[in-house]
Amino acid sequence: MSGSRVDLKVVLLGKEAGGKTSLVERYLHDRFHPNVPYQNTIGAAFGAKKVEVGGINVTMGIWDTAGSERYEAMSRIYYRSARAAIVCFDLTDDTSFDRAKFWVDELLKNEPDCKIYLTGTKYDLIEEEKRPRKVEETKVEEYADEIHCLVYETSSKTGQNIKELFYKIAQDYVEDPKNREPEVDEGIIDSSQPNTKPDKCSC
Amino acid sequence: MATSLHSNQISAGQEHAPGGSQNPVLVTKDSYEELEEDLSLDVDQSRPRHASGVIAEIVESRQHSEVDSNQNNAAVDYPATDQQVKGITADTNHLSLGDGQLTDESEVFVEEEEQRLRSGSVLQTVEKTKPAVVEEDIHSAAWKKHKKHIFILSEAGKPIYSRYGNEDKLVTLMGVIQALMSFVQDDKDSLRSVVAGGHLIVFLLRQPLMLVAASSTGESQQQLFLQLRYMYNQILSVLTHTQLNRIFEQRRNYDLRRLLSGTERFLNSLADLMDSDPCFLLTAVRGLPLDNTVRDVIGQSMQSAKVKDLVFAILIADGQLVTLVHMKKYILHPADLHLVINLLKASTSFETSDSWVPLCLPNFDSSGYLYSHISYLDDSPACLLLMTVDQMAFKEMENCKQKILEKLKKHNCLAAIKDSVKRGSYTCQEVGISELRHFLYKNKSTAQFTAPSWGAPYSDPAEQERLFSLYRFVHQKVHNPARPLKILFYVGSHESALGWITSGFELYAVFSPLTTKQVAILAVNKILKWIKKEEERLFILNPPEY
Ligand SMILES: Nc1nc2c(ncn2[C@@H]2O[C@H](COP(=O)(O)OP(=O)(O)OP(=O)(O)O)[C@@H](O)[C@H]2O)c(=O)[nH]1
Ligand SMILES: [Mg+2]
Repeated sequence: MSGSRVDLKVVLLGKEAGGKTSLVERYLHDRFHPNVPYQNTIGAAFGAKKVEVGGINVTMGIWDTAGSERYEAMSRIYYRSARAAIVCFDLTDDTSFDRAKFWVDELLKNEPDCKIYLTGTKYDLIEEEKRPRKVEETKVEEYADEIHCLVYETSSKTGQNIKELFYKIAQDYVEDPKNREPEVDEGIIDSSQPNTKPDKCSC
Repeated sequence: MATSLHSNQISAGQEHAPGGSQNPVLVTKDSYEELEEDLSLDVDQSRPRHASGVIAEIVESRQHSEVDSNQNNAAVDYPATDQQVKGITADTNHLSLGDGQLTDESEVFVEEEEQRLRSGSVLQTVEKTKPAVVEEDIHSAAWKKHKKHIFILSEAGKPIYSRYGNEDKLVTLMGVIQALMSFVQDDKDSLRSVVAGGHLIVFLLRQPLMLVAASSTGESQQQLFLQLRYMYNQILSVLTHTQLNRIFEQRRNYDLRRLLSGTERFLNSLADLMDSDPCFLLTAVRGLPLDNTVRDVIGQSMQSAKVKDLVFAILIADGQLVTLVHMKKYILHPADLHLVINLLKASTSFETSDSWVPLCLPNFDSSGYLYSHISYLDDSPACLLLMTVDQMAFKEMENCKQKILEKLKKHNCLAAIKDSVKRGSYTCQEVGISELRHFLYKNKSTAQFTAPSWGAPYSDPAEQERLFSLYRFVHQKVHNPARPLKILFYVGSHESALGWITSGFELYAVFSPLTTKQVAILAVNKILKWIKKEEERLFILNPPEY
C-alpha cells in the first residue's frame, strides 16, 4: 500500500461523527463495528487502495480527516491538491448538512480542480431503524445541481453504495482528459536528495 | 516513632547507579523540584512558565541549512558507525556499587503502620469498580464515593471537564470553586489546598484554566499537583498554550468543550493511568526489556532512515519505550512522552491506518505543534512515531517509516518486540530474593524505571491498588519538602517497605510483613546488583542521535 505511487488523492470532509471513518473502514477493510463506541479521528488518517478501471490501475490515497473544529485550521494541508473530495453529511442530522456546505465552499474557493461527491451517510438508520430523515433529498439535489456535483447516499453498516462511490471517483479520474498524461513519480521522495521542490504536496 | 540510626556515611554516586548513562534520552530534572519552581512562578510572574520557541528555532535553522545545502548541492547524511555505537556501550560496562552500598548502620527512618493509619493515608477500602460508562448522578452515593475527583473549569467558572458524572450538572460546584479561587487570588495569595470531610482538595490555577482535585486516597498535595499538571498538559497537547490563551482573550466566556470534543476520552484515560501506572509517580519511562544488540539495531535502523526536519523518532510497544532517536540539540521530557503513551493507550484507531496528527508537547514547546506520523508496524504491537516541524511532510515521513520497517523486518526486530511484549516484565522470583515481593527502581540520570510484573500476591487488581497506594505513601515520605528523608523503612501489617533515594536513583522495595530492616537492607543491595547485571536489557543506555 503506502510507499507505492499515489495517483489520485481523495479526501473526506464533514462534521464530526458524520461517518467518514466508518465509510473508509468499510471501503478499505470491508468491516463495520456497530458496538465499538465512537472514537473521533484526531488529525487525519491515511490509507491507500488500488483499483482497476478499464484496464488502467489507479492507486487512490485516501485521507480521512477529523471533523472536530479544532483541526479546521489545518484542514487545508489535507485537501490540498486532492482530485476528489467526499463531502459527508449525516442523513439524520440536519446541522451536518450546513457543515457540508461549509466544506464545499472551502473547496470551490481553494481547490477548483477537486471534484466533489456529496454523500449522505447512515442510510440504514432511516431504512432499517426508521429514524426520521433530517436532510431532504430534494434539498440536497437542488444544492448539488447548483454546484455541479454528484450525490450518493451510503450506509457503512450495510455497505450500500460505497464501492460504487469510490469506483465512480476512480472512473471520473481516468476519464478526465486532464489526467491522461502519465504523471511524474510523485509518490516517492528519494530522501538521499535534498528536496528542493518548493511546492510539496502531502500525498 | 521515627527512629534514626546513625551511620558512617552513605552516598551513591550517580555514575555508578544501575541503568545510568551519560547521554540520556530524556530530560532528567526532578519533578518535585520542577513543581516547586513552577509554583513559585505564581508569585514571581516575571519569568515565563511555558516552554516556547523551540519549534520556531528549528524551522529557522532549517531555512538556513536549506540555503547551505543548495549552495553545496550535496545531501547531508548522519549515520553513526558501528564502532561509535559499540564504543559508547563499552563505557557503561563497569560496575561499582561501593558508593551506593546500603549498610545496616545507615541512617534509616522507620515508620509504623499505625502512624500511617492516623495520618489517613492507608487505603482502607478499595474501589473495585471501573469508572462507570453510564453517566452518574452527581447526587448519588456512588458519585460521592469516588476516591478522586478531578474538575477543570475556565476562569469564568464555565465547566470544562469532570472525571465522573456530567460536568454540566456540576455548575453549582464549579461556581463555588471559581468564587473561592478568585477570592483568594484577589488577596495576592493563591489558594493551594484545603482539607474537608476526609478529602484533600487541591487547586491549581493555570490561567485561563482552573484545575481541582478532591481526593481521599491519602496522596500528598504535591502528588495531586503533579497530576493536575498532567491534566493541564493533556489539554495543551491538543490546543497549544498559545491557542488556549487566544481563545479566552477573545471570549472570556467561551465554552471550551466545543474545541476539546473527543479529548475527554484522553483525560479520563490519563486520570486512570495515573492511578495505576507508577511512571507518573516517578516521572520516568519504562523501557521494553530487550536484548541490547536488538535494541541497537533498531536504533540504528531508525537513525539511518533520517529525513530532514525529523525531530523525534519514537518506538513504543505496550506503553513501554523501545528506543528513541532525537535531534542532537533537543531532548524529550518524560512527561511529554507520557502524554504520547496515553494517546496510544486511549485510541485504537491508530492500529488500522497511518495517521498524521498535530501534537503539542508542552515541555518541549507549548506554543506550537509537532506533526506526528503514527503507525503500528506490520500489525505488531510496535508503534512508530515520527515527529517533525513541517506540517506538509507526511509523505517524507511515510517513506521514512517504510525504510525503517524494511530494516526492522530484515533483522527480525519486530518478532523480538512481539516476544518481549508477550512475555511481559520479569517476575520478582527471577530476581532471586525470597522476602522480596515487588519493587520500583528509577535511574535518575536516564529518567527510566524498571519493575517486575505484578506477580502473587499482587495478581488481583485490588491488591495492586493497595500496593500502589503504599508506594505513593513511601514516595511522598521520602520526597516531603519539609523533612526530606533519604531512607525510610515502613512496617505494615500486610508488608514492609523500604524507600531509598540517592543522587543516582530512587528505589522502593516491598517485602513480606515480618521482614526486618536488616534483611531488607541486604535485599536492597542484592536488587541493585541484579539490576546492574540486567541493565542493558532493561534500560535504553545508548540511544543514537540525528
Ligand atoms: N448505523 C450506522 N451508524 C454509522 C454509520 N456510519 C457511522 N456510524 C456511526 O456514527 C458514529 C460516528 O462515525 P465515524 O465514522 O467515527 O464518524 P467520523 O465522521 O469519522 O467522525 P470524526 O472522526 O469525529 O470526524 C459511530 O458511532 C459510527 O458507528 C452508518 O452507516 N450506519
Ligand atoms: Mg473519523
